[in-house]
This record gives sequence, C-alpha cells and structure tokens, in this order.
Amino acid sequence: MNPKPRQARDFEFRCQLAAGLHARPATRLAEVAAEFQSECTLRNLRNYAIANLKSVLSIIAAEVRHGDSCEITVRGLDEEAALSGLQRFIETELPKCDEPLLPAPPSRGSLPRTLRDAHAHAVLGTAASPGVGRGHIVRVGGLRIPAAAQSEKPKDRKQEQQRIDKALAAARIALEVRLARAANKTEQDVLKAHRGLLSDVSFTDRLANLVEHGRPAGRAIVEACGSFVEMMRSSESLYIRERALDMHDVCARLLAEIYGEPATHTPQLTKPSIVVAENCTPQQLLSFDRQHLRGLILEAGGATSHTLILARSLEIPAITGVRETALLPDSEEAIVDGSRGFAIAEMSQAVERYFRNESEIAERRRARLSQFASSAAVTRDGQRLEIGANVAAVEELGPAFQNGAEGIGVFRTEMLFAGRETPPTEAEQFEAYSAAARAAGGKPTIVRTLDVGGDKPLACLDLPQEQNPFLGERGVRLYPRHEALLCSQVRAILRASAHGRMMLMVPMIATVDEVRWCKALIASVKQELAGERVTFDDKLQFGVMIEVPSAGFLIEELAREVDFFSVGTNDLAQYFFAADRDNPALAALANPLAPAFLRFLQQIADAAHRAGKWIGICGQMAADARNLPIVIGLGIDEVGVPSAAIPDLKHRVAKLNASDCRDLLKRALSCASAAEVGALLDSYSGEKLPLIADDLVVMPATAQNKDEAIREAVGTLWVAGRIEDRVRLEDAVWAREEVYSTGLGHGFAVPHCKSAAVHAPSIAVLRLREPVEWGSLDEKPVEIAILLALPEDAAKEHLQVFARLARKLMNEEFRNQLLSARDAAAIRSCLEQNVLAEA
Amino acid sequence: MKVVAVTACPTGVAHTYMAAEQLEKTAKTLGHAIKVETQGAIGIENELSDGDIQAADAVIFATDIEVERGERFEGKMILRVPVQEAIKNPAGVFAKLKN
Repeated sequence: MNPKPRQARDFEFRCQLAAGLHARPATRLAEVAAEFQSECTLRNLRNYAIANLKSVLSIIAAEVRHGDSCEITVRGLDEEAALSGLQRFIETELPKCDEPLLPAPPSRGSLPRTLRDAHAHAVLGTAASPGVGRGHIVRVGGLRIPAAAQSEKPKDRKQEQQRIDKALAAARIALEVRLARAANKTEQDVLKAHRGLLSDVSFTDRLANLVEHGRPAGRAIVEACGSFVEMMRSSESLYIRERALDMHDVCARLLAEIYGEPATHTPQLTKPSIVVAENCTPQQLLSFDRQHLRGLILEAGGATSHTLILARSLEIPAITGVRETALLPDSEEAIVDGSRGFAIAEMSQAVERYFRNESEIAERRRARLSQFASSAAVTRDGQRLEIGANVAAVEELGPAFQNGAEGIGVFRTEMLFAGRETPPTEAEQFEAYSAAARAAGGKPTIVRTLDVGGDKPLACLDLPQEQNPFLGERGVRLYPRHEALLCSQVRAILRASAHGRMMLMVPMIATVDEVRWCKALIASVKQELAGERVTFDDKLQFGVMIEVPSAGFLIEELAREVDFFSVGTNDLAQYFFAADRDNPALAALANPLAPAFLRFLQQIADAAHRAGKWIGICGQMAADARNLPIVIGLGIDEVGVPSAAIPDLKHRVAKLNASDCRDLLKRALSCASAAEVGALLDSYSGEKLPLIADDLVVMPATAQNKDEAIREAVGTLWVAGRIEDRVRLEDAVWAREEVYSTGLGHGFAVPHCKSAAVHAPSIAVLRLREPVEWGSLDEKPVEIAILLALPEDAAKEHLQVFARLARKLMNEEFRNQLLSARDAAAIRSCLEQNVLAEA
Repeated sequence: MKVVAVTACPTGVAHTYMAAEQLEKTAKTLGHAIKVETQGAIGIENELSDGDIQAADAVIFATDIEVERGERFEGKMILRVPVQEAIKNPAGVFAKLKN
C-alpha cells in the first residue's frame, strides 16, 4: 500500500492485496476505523462504490480488487488522529493481512453445447460424483426459523430488539470461547471474521431497521441474512462469494440463540429426488432413502469430503460449490450432472433428450462392465489379485458386491464415531459390524479399528490439539489413552466375527511394541468373551497397516505377530516423502510411482512373502488402473479400492501378463523419476487393443447435432473401456474443433485429438442416421464422423495409420465404400482393409 | 512445372495428410511434378532436400502453423494458403501459382 497524502482529511491508496480487500483484511480495517469517533469513508475509484469503513460488509460491497485506487475520507472530531491511524495501518499492517491466495478453485462445471444453445438455465458447480440423475428438488437445512416461530407475531419492538441484542451478545461470547480454543490461525481468522460480522454496523443497523418495521426477531435475522448473502454472492470476487457462508453461519448462530439448537431435520424422500443443501454430513446422506435419492447439490465447496467419497461409492451423482441454489425451485423436477458439474431445473425437450442420452450411455457402460464384475481378477499367466472394496458404511456393501468386490478391503469405522457427542456403544458397533459380516456373506471383511487423530478430529473423543497433527497422536497411538473405547470396539468386532469372515486391522503401526499391546488387548477381550460364553471367531485374522515408514523396515519382526499386512499408500507416501498429502503444492512430490517409493514397496512386499504372510494395498495407488502392472509386478495379493473401480480393474488384470509386469517393475525400479515410471507404464498396456473394433462403430448413430455426435463418439470409447474421463476427452476434441471444423466435406468429419485421457489409440465411427451440421468445408452436413483418439505420447505406427486414413478420405471410392456399408462390421472391415492392412 | 510443398496443421494428425494427398493428386491431373513434405505429429516426412527446393519452379505452404526449418526456402517465392484451402480446392491453389 502506498498512501499518498492529498489533503488534511483524506488520502488515496492502491490496494496491493492479491485477493483484494476481502473479509479478513476488511475486518482488520474496520476494527481500526472503529477506534475513532470520526465518520470514515472509503471510495473505490474504480467503480465509485462508497463504503462505511466501520462496516466490514460495506467494505466488502465496495469490491476493492488488487490494483484498485481508493480514497479514504475522515470527518469528525478526531479526524487528525483517525487519518494518521488509518494511514499508518494501511501502510504497515494491511499488507500483512493478505495471505497466499487459496489454491485455484476446482474447475467449474460446464454446460454441453446442445443445452447452451437451447438456452437451458443451468446452475454450475464442481463435478464431484459422476453420473446424471433426475428427480424433484428437495431442500434440506438452510436458514430456517423453527416452525413454531414461523407464525410468530412481533411483540413490542423494544422487546424484539432486546431479543436480538441478547442473541448478538451471546453469540459474541460463544465466538470468543471458540476463538480461545481455535486450533490454528486459519480457524482463528475465520472466527474473527464472524465476530466482525456480528458487530458490523451495517448488519446491526439492518436488524434494528427491520425490527423497527415490525419484524419479529427471527424474521429480521433471516431477512437481513438474505439481503447480505445476496450482496456477497453477486460479488465479482470468488473469495467474497464464499464468505456468504460465513454470514449464513453467523445468522444460524443467532437463530439458535433465540430458538435453541435446531433439530437436524431429514426429510422423507417419497419420489425420485435431488437433494439440495448447503452441506450434508455423511450420516445425513445415508439417512436418505437411497431408492429415491438421485442426486446431490451442495453449496459447500470441495470434492474430497467424506460425504462425497460416499456419494461416489454409492454412485449418487453430485455437484458441489453451487452458489445459486436459490435458482432451483423447491419440488420442481431437475437433472444433476455430476460428470460435467451442472444442474437444470427446467425439463425442456432438450434437457429431456440430454438426460435420456446420458442415461442410455451410462447403462451401456454398466452392462459392459458387469460382465467383468462376476469374474475373478487373474492375469493371463494365472496370477491372482483379490480385489476388495473400501467402505465406510454398511450401506455401501450392497453396491460393492454388485460391482464384483471379492471382499471388503477396509471397513473404515470412523463414520460410526463421527458427528456425535458420545462414542457409539458396543451394541451399536456390533450391529454395524455384524450387518457388514452378514452382507459380505462369507467374503472376507477387514475391519479397521478407529483411525482418528488431530487431523481427523471427533467430537465424541477428547483429542489433543497439536502443532503437527499428521505427526501426532493418530491411530494406534491414541489407544492406550482410550483403552475402554478400543476394548468396546474389539469386543464388537470379535462378536461380529461369529457372523462372517472378519479380520481386524490396526492403523498407524510404527513399532513392534504397539502391535504387542494390541494383541494383548485382543487376547484379554477374547478371554472375557469366552468367560461370558459369547461366540466369536477364535482364529480371527489380525493385521496391521503399513503406513509409517519405520514399520516397513520391521516386516520380518512384525510378521511373527500378525497374519497379514496392508500398505496404506497415501499415508506411507506422505511420511516417506515428508510431504503433506493435503497440500496441493506438494501433490507431485508424494508420488507413489517415484522409484524410491517403489523400491521401498518392493522391499516390504518381498519381506512379507518371505515370512509367508499375504500383503495388500489400500490407497489411491491401487485404484488407478494405470498402476496395475506395478501392483501385479510387486506380487501384491489383495487391493482395497473404491467399489466403482472394481469391474474395470478386474477387466484390466485379465489383460496383463504377470511375468511382463515383473519385468516392467524391474525397469521401473531403475528409473530416476516418477515421470519416467509413468512413461514406462503408458507404453505398456498389456494386451494390445486393436485401433478399430466392432464395438467402436455405431450404426445407426442417433446424434442430432455436432455436440451430440461428439458425445456419442466419445461415449462409445468410454463404454468400450478405452477411456475413463469422458469429459476430458470431449473437451480435447472440442478444443481442436474450435481451431477450425474437422468437417472435411463430402459428408465426412474427422474429429480428433491427443489427450492423456486416452489409454489406447482408438478409432470410433458414427454412421449417422440423420446428417448433422458440422461447419464443414463444403457446408454439407456430415453422414460419417470418424473420431481419432490418441494418447499424449502416441506411437509413430499409430500416427501413421491415422495419416493413411486421412489420405484415404480424399479418395471418393473409399468414401463411397464407407457410405454404402450395410452394417457396423462392414465399416470396420473396410477401415481395416484400407488403412490397417498396410501397417 | 516442378512444385514442392509443405503441409502442416495444428494437431498434425489428419489435415496435414489430407492436404498432402489433395496436392499430390491434383498435381498429377494437372501434369505437374510435385513433392510434398508433411510436418505432422509423426514429424517431418518426405523431407524436401536443398536440391528439391532449388530445382522447384514453385513452392506451396499449405500450413496453419509455422513451417519448421523454413530457412531452407530463403529466396524462394512461396505461395501460402491455409490447410483447408488445399483440401477444399486444390486446383484453385495451383491456379494461384500461375498468377
């Protein structure tokens, strides 16, 4: 900030905060201004917005961005002092109020061109759980006056004002208490911003004004909240738009002060529904009748919450970070697209058609993958990989087994403990674990004991506040201090083991002593149960997670104590590389494909096998099909992955050759970087897929425009299992179309691209039933669209095939042959003969 | 007439080769000798030597991107057309050469 004195009572400065005068610096600025009696005004010289410097909301509304010049004017008795105080603050303190810009917000959704052209009114969000769903909008939560108070008539105005004042005071005290306990600076800053809102003169004036106009206290709060939230949401700054949630929080707090804590209300879904909420806890998600839950639209941001992990696992389409949920009218029918990140509450013909097309293609993919679900994952040379599902709730087991899970890789028990004031009783836990055991019907279920810590706090457990929670009291390290809790969990697991094939696994093991402590506890619980004549599986397998590097060097010793190992690659990589897994700036560092990590994994896997123990991997590494050759090469016995990934993994294992995988691992181990290993993996795809195949030719294709045709062609590759990320490939194809149309005339188009979304180079062909406008060179509509999809590092031989095809298409005879082909097989064979034969 | 040409498009997957094909076919029907260098995703193919270029009566660039190793053509008159034009109307491209 470079203040430049102009006159005695005003001065100008340029905002140099990267995120502009957002809530936090505005809060500090307002605090300083409030120290003086004088009226302090800020004028943004870019948009001429005028703000009361004592009001955070007012400052925020002035939309001061990076680089804006602003004028500050001071009028009043202490104007000299105010002026120099403000000037000093802006010069020396304000620049420190900034903080590194938040990581770029996840990309917003986008509307397919067909719907854009149909002028569908969509709300955009971040794609968070793929798929498309259709149902009636059901709004959950949000700011609501308790029903009893809905019809409340204002008492006298003075009394209503007192209720508000009391609520404000109580909320301030509650905030101070939380502030004193705040774990870190970020949380403190958020709470301070809330405190600022509570004292903000624009806000309190607004409340007073509404009461003056005859509103009862509750109504005044809801109305004031609504108007400020609207103002913030219409802000140009993403940062300020997101602060609308703060306003919301503060007003919810005030309402709770007046009417008491609201009971969490979960509406009964009685028909296909799309739930719209500010946020949704995992428990809430599970409490909805899944038969009717077709989609989830959340205002809160982020794509990594437990709720969304659940949504993905239950295959419920979801979008997050949706700011304009107000545009989705209650009980109207809507669609939500969790692959592309939008929702539309207007079932026009175009929207209907879009939904039908998307559902149909998803159904085709499901049908294809279900062929693999029921088979075992065995390589061509007979090496077996057991593929289990990772789940956090009993409700996930059904879909997991439908997807072909051969067991439960990890049953995370944290959800049973989350979001409640007291831990679940043994009976509650027994009910959950035995339900899981029964649902698994004899398939192995690995139950992981409670894995919490400073980084995963629990309301029902008194956890220490730590500087460095990832390196603090997590997992097994908490057990000695919470022995009773662990005992009840182990009792519940053992009792449930009588109902199925259970295994018990302990997280965060770093030493042999920790294992011995757990075993002693299990032994005493067994003795106790035997004494009570309770049945349990006496041979219950006991295993440990390998996620602390020290444990990786103790496999031989640990093997004497345990039945199996499961490598938690996410945590192991984070500790191995000393790189916070939640810090996006370090994401590239904690790469499990790094040769150093692979060497460690190999050492662990070999040691486990030498000791005669089986070893699994649960973690992102195992879920990514690209890494399969490494997993197989390492000789891993079992993997635990999200259930949606299972059919594809099984299908891919069947295409691999274990001895090739071992060779590939050998080469990977001698690479110098993760990138080199990645390139090695990309060059190896096991069985070579042919460039063209019958299932890549669609005849007749039903697309009615170019956008639909591109979606249909890309969707065909998706159904055939050649790509995972449809949207990314569509975007790449469109990026190329936008340079200039690939319509080459004579009724042909060759949309094409290179994209990392493509595993195997492929040609998809649409023989269109109705010719489609493509912006072709000769302005004629397209009858045959040939999609050429190449991986980023396409091999020369494939490029040569595509080049040959391009040249052939200049030949009228060849074009006529394709145009007159009777069926898909004829098109495929015509391409093969003319283009592949010369390869 | 002896013609040399270079074709190159943004992705280098399809249009480079279509344009090359069109120029070659059309040259044949018009009775010209032609050699077309393609600069696509595969890299440079059918590369024009200094001798080819020196001996040429005309040079055509049917390109949407910068030609690689363009210094080879220094001092030559070059007819530059978009790739699409060579695909759509190759005869027109040759007609332009005459002007």
